[in-house]
Amino acid sequence: MSTEDWRRIDLYAPTPEHRAFRDTLDEFVEREVEPQAAEHDRNETFNHDLFRRAADLGLLGVTLPEEFGGADLDATAAVILYEALSSSDPGFALAVLAHSILFAQNVNVNGNDEIRQHVLPRAISGEWIGGLCMTEPEVGTDVLALRTQAKRDGNDYLIDGRKTFITNGGIDEHTLGDVFVVYAATGEREISAFVVEKGMGGLSLGQHWKDKLGMRASFTAELVFDGVRVPATNRMGAEGEGTLAMMRNLEIERLTLAAMSVGIARRCVSVMLDYAGQRKTFGVPIREHGQVQRYIAESFAEYRAAASLVFDVARRFDLSQTGQRIEADAAKLFACQVAKRAADAAIQVLGGYGYMGEYVVQRLWRDAKLLEIGGGTLEAHQKNLVKDLSRDPARVRA
Amino acid sequence: MKIMVCLKQVPHQDARLDINADGTWIQEDNIKFEINSYDTYALEEALRTKDAGEADVFVVSIGPDRVGQALRTALGMGADRAIHVNDDEANGSDSLGLAKILAAVAKQENPDLIFMGLMSDDDNSAAVAPMLAQLLDIPHTTAAVKVERSNGTVTCDREIEGGAHEVVELTAPCLIAVQTGLNQVRYASLKGIMAAKKKPFDVKSVADLGLSGQVGTGAAKVKIDRIAPPLKGDTAEILSGSTAEVVAGLVSKIKELGLL
Repeated sequence: MSTEDWRRIDLYAPTPEHRAFRDTLDEFVEREVEPQAAEHDRNETFNHDLFRRAADLGLLGVTLPEEFGGADLDATAAVILYEALSSSDPGFALAVLAHSILFAQNVNVNGNDEIRQHVLPRAISGEWIGGLCMTEPEVGTDVLALRTQAKRDGNDYLIDGRKTFITNGGIDEHTLGDVFVVYAATGEREISAFVVEKGMGGLSLGQHWKDKLGMRASFTAELVFDGVRVPATNRMGAEGEGTLAMMRNLEIERLTLAAMSVGIARRCVSVMLDYAGQRKTFGVPIREHGQVQRYIAESFAEYRAAASLVFDVARRFDLSQTGQRIEADAAKLFACQVAKRAADAAIQVLGGYGYMGEYVVQRLWRDAKLLEIGGGTLEAHQKNLVKDLSRDPARVRA
Repeated sequence: MKIMVCLKQVPHQDARLDINADGTWIQEDNIKFEINSYDTYALEEALRTKDAGEADVFVVSIGPDRVGQALRTALGMGADRAIHVNDDEANGSDSLGLAKILAAVAKQENPDLIFMGLMSDDDNSAAVAPMLAQLLDIPHTTAAVKVERSNGTVTCDREIEGGAHEVVELTAPCLIAVQTGLNQVRYASLKGIMAAKKKPFDVKSVADLGLSGQVGTGAAKVKIDRIAPPLKGDTAEILSGSTAEVVAGLVSKIKELGLL
C-alpha cells in the first residue's frame, strides 16, 4: 500500500459498502427512527413494526452468513449500525443488538449447523425475536455462580430457574419473546448454553421491568423456567462448555455496546453545538462563553477519541476468533463513560430545556447510564483489563 | 424495456460550502456528496417500472472517482448496472457538454425511456434534460409529478404555474425530467448494497464516446466567471422584544411602507 493510499483510508467507513450502508442508515434514522423515539421511550414500549422494517433493510443480519440471509459483513459494519441507531434511539438500538448480537451472533459462533439452519434465517428475517438469558435475580457478573439448572433427562434437558433483565424477553406485556440463548448450570460451577424456544412447555414471561431509568424503548423482562423441556440437540457446544461459548461472543457484544455509546456522544455534541449557537445570554450566543465552550469542546474531543478507539478496534476485529478482549473491554470502558459525560454536558448547556423530556439529551442521558452496567459493568471491564494486561504486558503499547 | 437514469452527484445539503481559490466553484475537498435529490426521484420512478417486471435499469453519471459512490448507491437501490464517465477531459463542461456526453451514452444503449431530475441541487440550470432530448431528437417533458406507462406511451402530469397540472402524453423513446416528491424514494437495503458489488460497472472516457475535443472547458460556451455568496447588506431590520412587541412592530412597519 502506498503512502497516499494509507492516508486515504477512512477508518469510519473504509469500503464503498460501508459508506453506502452508513448513508442508508442516516436516512433510515432520520425518516423512521427519530420520529418514533420519544413516544416509545415515554410509553415504555418496544416498536415491533420498526424492528420489522429494520429486518427488511437487512439490519438484523449484518454480521451473519449470507446463506441464512445475512450480509456477512465485518465488525466495522456492525459498529456503523449501532452507532447510527443509537444516535437517535438507544433503546431501540439495544433491542436490535440484543437480538442480532447477543442472541443471533451467539448462535452463529456457538451453534452447530443444524441449530444455525433452524434459528438464523428466522432471526435475520425478523420472524423471530431473540434474546440472551444470563443474569439471574441473585447472580450477575459472577456467572459461574448461576442457579438456573439444566438436568439431563434422556434425550432432553429439564431447565429450572429464573432469568432477569432480559432484553427482548417479551415483545409486549402479554407476548413472550420467540427464542433465547440460555446459560444454565449442568454441574458444580459448570455451565452449558441452550437454545430455548417459545412453545417449549414451562417457559413463561415473568415480571416486566417497568420504570427503568433509560432504554425504555426496549422490553426488559424476567423469564421463568419451570421444568422447561429442551431437546439435547438444542445444546450449543459440549456439556459444560457454556463459559467458552459465552467468552466467544463477549467481545463483539462489548464492541457494539461501545459503538452505541459513540452514537450517543455524537448526538449530544451536535445538539449542544446547535443550541449554543442559537441561545443567547447577555446579548451573545452562549457558545461565546468560555464555560459553555468547555462543555462542547471537551465532549467533542472525548467523542472523537472514543470513535477512533472503537472503529480502530473494529478494524482489527476477527469475528471468527477470540483474543480481542483487551481491546473490546477498553473500548466499552472508555466509550460508555464518554457518552454519559457528553449527555451530562449537553443537559448543562441546554439548561432547563435540557432537563425536560421534550429535548432529546435528557433521554440520551438516561439511556447512556445503562451502558456502564449492561454487557459488563465498568468494574468487570477494569478487572478483566488488569488481569489480561498483567498476563501479557506487551499489549499495553498501542 | 430499457431505462436510462441520469444521476448527478452534488454536495450534501448539510455540507458547508466555501469558495475555491480562484473563485469559480466551491471547495470540494473534505465535503460530503450525495445524489442530487431530483435524480433520486427519477431513479425511484425507474425502479418502480422494474419492480413491475418490465425493465432493465442502468444509471449514468459524469465526474471524478467520488461519483462512483453515487452510482454504487443507485445499484444498491436496485439499478442493474452503472456507467461512469470518468475523464478529466469532461471537466468544465457546460450543460450542453454534459448533454452531449449523456446523448453519446444513450446512442450506444438505445434506451426506451430516460429518467432524470428536473434540475440539480447545486447549479439549478434545468438545462441538461431538454438539451439531451433535443440531441437525441426524442420527445421530453419536465417537472413531471406523476408518470403512468402503457404500451409505448407515457402519460405525465407536469407542474405548471399556479399549482395547476398539465397532462402530456409522450411516445417512447422519450425523456422525462421529474419534479421532487412524486414518489417515496427507497433506501439501498443492506442486501442491495452487497448485491451491487457484483453488478456491471463500466467506466468510460470521453474518447470512448467519440467526443474528444467536443466537451470540457475548451468546448464550453458557458463558463463560470465567478461565484460569490450574497452580499451582506444593512437593509434587513431585525425586530426584537416580546412576541407581542415584535408583532406590533411588524404591523406598524407594514403600514409605514404602505404594503396594506
